[in-house]
Amino acid sequence: MPASKRFLHPEAIGRISRLDLRARHIVEGFLSGIHRSPYFGQSVEFLQHREYTPGDDLRHVDWKVWAKQDRYYVKQFEEDTNLRATLLVDVSGSMRYGSGPLDKYEYGCTIAASLAYLLLRQQDAVGCVAFDDAVRVKVPQRTKRSHLNSIVQALAASEPREKTEMLSLLRAAVEAYPRRGLMILVSDLLVERTGLFKGLKLLRQHGHDVIVFHVMDDQELDFSFNGPTRFEGLELSERLACNPRALREGYLQALGAYLDEVRRGCARDGVDYVQLRTSQPLDAALAAFLSSRQGRLRD
Amino acid sequence: MPSFVNESFLWWGLPLVGVPVLIHLINLMRHRRVPWAAMEFLLASQKRHQKSILFKQLLLLLLRMLAVAAVVLMVAQPLVRNQWGALFGGSKTHHIVLLDDSFSMSDHWADTSAFDQARAVVTRLAAQAAHQDTPQIFTLFRFSRARRLSRGTQPDLLGVALDADFTAHLEKVLGPLTPSQTAADPQDALDAVDRLPPKPADEDRIIYLVSDFRANQWQEPTGLRKSLHQLDEAGAQIHLINCVDAVHENLAIASLRPGSGTRAAGVPLLAEVSVRNFGASDARGVSVSLEEDGHARPAIVFEELPAGKLITRRFPVLFATAGEHEIVARLQTDAVTADNARSLVLEVPKTVDVLIVDGEAKAQDAFFLSTALAPGGKVTSGLRPQVESPRYLRDHALDGFESIYLLNIARLEPAEIGALESYVKAGGGLGIFMGELSRADFFNEQLYRGGEGLFPLPLAGPAELVVDRLEKAPDLEVTDHPIFAVFAGERNSFLNTVTVSRYFAAQKDWNPAPDSSTRVIARLRNKAPFAVEHKFGEGHVVAVLTKASPLETSLGSWNNWGRDNPSYVVAMLEMQSYLSSSRHPDTSRLVGTPLDVPVDEAKFLPQVRFVLPRDAGGGTLTVDATTTTNPAQAPVTHPPAANDTATAPVEPRADHNAVLADTDASGIYQAQLTGTDGSQRIERFAFNVVSEEGDLHKLDAEQLASRLEGVRYEFHQAADIDYNPQQLAGFNLSESLLYCLIAILLGEQVLAYACSYHPSAKGSTR
Repeated sequence: MPASKRFLHPEAIGRISRLDLRARHIVEGFLSGIHRSPYFGQSVEFLQHREYTPGDDLRHVDWKVWAKQDRYYVKQFEEDTNLRATLLVDVSGSMRYGSGPLDKYEYGCTIAASLAYLLLRQQDAVGCVAFDDAVRVKVPQRTKRSHLNSIVQALAASEPREKTEMLSLLRAAVEAYPRRGLMILVSDLLVERTGLFKGLKLLRQHGHDVIVFHVMDDQELDFSFNGPTRFEGLELSERLACNPRALREGYLQALGAYLDEVRRGCARDGVDYVQLRTSQPLDAALAAFLSSRQGRLRD
Repeated sequence: MPSFVNESFLWWGLPLVGVPVLIHLINLMRHRRVPWAAMEFLLASQKRHQKSILFKQLLLLLLRMLAVAAVVLMVAQPLVRNQWGALFGGSKTHHIVLLDDSFSMSDHWADTSAFDQARAVVTRLAAQAAHQDTPQIFTLFRFSRARRLSRGTQPDLLGVALDADFTAHLEKVLGPLTPSQTAADPQDALDAVDRLPPKPADEDRIIYLVSDFRANQWQEPTGLRKSLHQLDEAGAQIHLINCVDAVHENLAIASLRPGSGTRAAGVPLLAEVSVRNFGASDARGVSVSLEEDGHARPAIVFEELPAGKLITRRFPVLFATAGEHEIVARLQTDAVTADNARSLVLEVPKTVDVLIVDGEAKAQDAFFLSTALAPGGKVTSGLRPQVESPRYLRDHALDGFESIYLLNIARLEPAEIGALESYVKAGGGLGIFMGELSRADFFNEQLYRGGEGLFPLPLAGPAELVVDRLEKAPDLEVTDHPIFAVFAGERNSFLNTVTVSRYFAAQKDWNPAPDSSTRVIARLRNKAPFAVEHKFGEGHVVAVLTKASPLETSLGSWNNWGRDNPSYVVAMLEMQSYLSSSRHPDTSRLVGTPLDVPVDEAKFLPQVRFVLPRDAGGGTLTVDATTTTNPAQAPVTHPPAANDTATAPVEPRADHNAVLADTDASGIYQAQLTGTDGSQRIERFAFNVVSEEGDLHKLDAEQLASRLEGVRYEFHQAADIDYNPQQLAGFNLSESLLYCLIAILLGEQVLAYACSYHPSAKGSTR
């Protein structure tokens, strides 16, 4: 299987293509005339008609159609924003874990590749950074569709290893991409929370729109192990032999507290937070996120 | 400590309790290795719940071990000793079973009997004892045998160790046992226990009294209470086991005896049969069949027998030939059969000799009396009077005479008086008639002797009964004495026509002492004694204070009784029967009493062949006569009951006696003696049961407790000692363990569920 196919599930891409990715905040675009800019007029390419429903903007009503058919239709346009998106993909050791067909690393790379394809198809510039305790691979932002191959190859070449050092990584990202854009963090967030929140805050302070895809495995969320098990840390050196059934309740409590902390931290800094299970269909997860983003833009 | 039915399983099953621990250890070694990212949360959980997790895991492990242990124990079937099983805790236990085999134990109902119940109880007790771990020994007494222990009879089982073969051995012993026909008493059995060797220090004794606890045996429990108390004090445990739970109806022939009258060949004799109803309801139309020398004769029907009452009927018997004759009476079958038959052996001579001593030379009074006793011609009374002078008393043996009469005696020599006294003391009957020759002084000094002599009263002298022309009262007033009983109820008795002119008056103010055997059986019109009875030794003396004949004397006529008055003959025959009654004691004996037959070795060979009655098997048994010098070997008679007149006769002690010890069956025993000349002599002995044993009224637990106050014992019903062989040692806990196992497994499941992960159908929503 080619590397591009490895992370781009055709059915997922097909469904995502029907949706538009809109930045929650208008960012600088460099392809003027195509995209509505926060600074200059607008450019609209007609896409299709849709029957009017109360609440639609009257400016988009096609009066010609009304004159012919005596029915109200609104015109829909393919409306793109010139966006600079950066995919921050965690390739630390903890991402290697997976109890299903895809481990967290593979799942996260699939998300990153899908988003890259989607953005590149909109003529947006997409860059990619793979990191653990340091930046492993860095792909500059480009708008060419062929740039997708660079991103996919970079992700495939990044084998998970080492611990995650989120604050230094995010600080490096800010320095590397000083212009405002969209930062997409794909990680399991098994990091020191203070550094994480400082990093996210730093991104927001530099005007980046930040989306966090929190990738968790089913077993990490459900902890449905049975029988004597020896857990060996992927990033930590600790080992624990135990009856997982007995520890499950405490584990889930600790996990719940952690997830709450992450959600609250993201919400506090204006970071979109999406938790994904590795067993969750990829297209469904992206569609849910994009629908949410679109709804928030309308607001 | 409980015992186990499958003890071997216990020993190899108990290690299985460690299997959960082993599985746990193996699981620890078989850890699955999982590379894990979220160690942070796992470590936090482990740190927080370490103690509770350890506790729950240990508890779970314990429950699983308990479950395995419960399964092992359930298969091993532990037995917890019940109150019976708890008895067998000593180092050695001696079970002494006293088995009541008196004939009341033959009480039967449905398809069982009291004795069957008792046998089953003994079997179960033995089986229970055989299942104990400690040494057990067993002794079995039957009541009837216990009585004879002093005479060398052995118990049925004595100190037999319980081993694997014991049950079969006991079956062999118990199988042939049947209730005896004795009225064996529990006291005999308890006395037998006393004769056992003393209890060793390391021995526990348990005494089981297996009986029917009839009320008549426990009416006077002083001796029983004392014996039981002694056993209790000696450390024995006492268990009274009742084999009967209900009182059943029962009739019994209480007695069969000859009535008054002369026993002689060809002379009709009245016999009496008495039937007692021991039941709680009246019986009607009770038929008693009779046999004379094996030949059936018409039955006697008792139209009504009220509950608890004794009814007596008379019936005539007539034996044409002299010798021993048998009479057997039988009742219809009821709850107890042993008391439904009774037999009697009568010695009937060809004639009965009567000595009449007349003080007058012409013996005119003797003529009247002898004519009355033996009228002659075609009429036979069976009596053969012999008239003699007083001198005869001194010169001849008197034992051959059934009775002796003294008529008109002037005086007697001391030797003659001595011979008479010896005769009467030995049971002879003496009739005395006064006359013109009689002297009050002689009678008072020689015959009365202040109440110590033969004559029953002190005399004042001859007196005349004045004729009362105004009042036509009869001269004689008789009582219900047997001599005059025949006249009772007659409206125009010939006795009323008797005229008494003269009589010997008793001394003034004389009256018989209340506690003496002297009684006035007839008085004259003026209330003066006419006939006085007196018991002297074993015999009776009847003094008639007038002349035996109506002849004129120097003092005039004394009475007209003997002239043209039939009552004279009747009264004289009745007096003869009465006087001779003490010469014919009831020869029937009680079952269980040894039959002691004197053997004159000068005339008979020492071997005596006994023919046993049908109830004893009907066989024969030859016994050698032995010298009887030990008084302890004298026959012991069972104390007769109040209404049972059967007593063992006092046999003249011979140098040699043939003793048949086992007479536990009723019926007629024959002793065949062979003479040295080859001749045969057969003696018959009737053995009957103690009819009171047929009284089936019994004591309940409360009544028994009141009679045995102060004695520690336990009272059980036979049915209560009923458990299957696997439960002999106690209560089987298998079923309880099953419930425990279910509870343990439920607890284990609940705890395991609490400790484990169970994903919901929808999965986690996180």
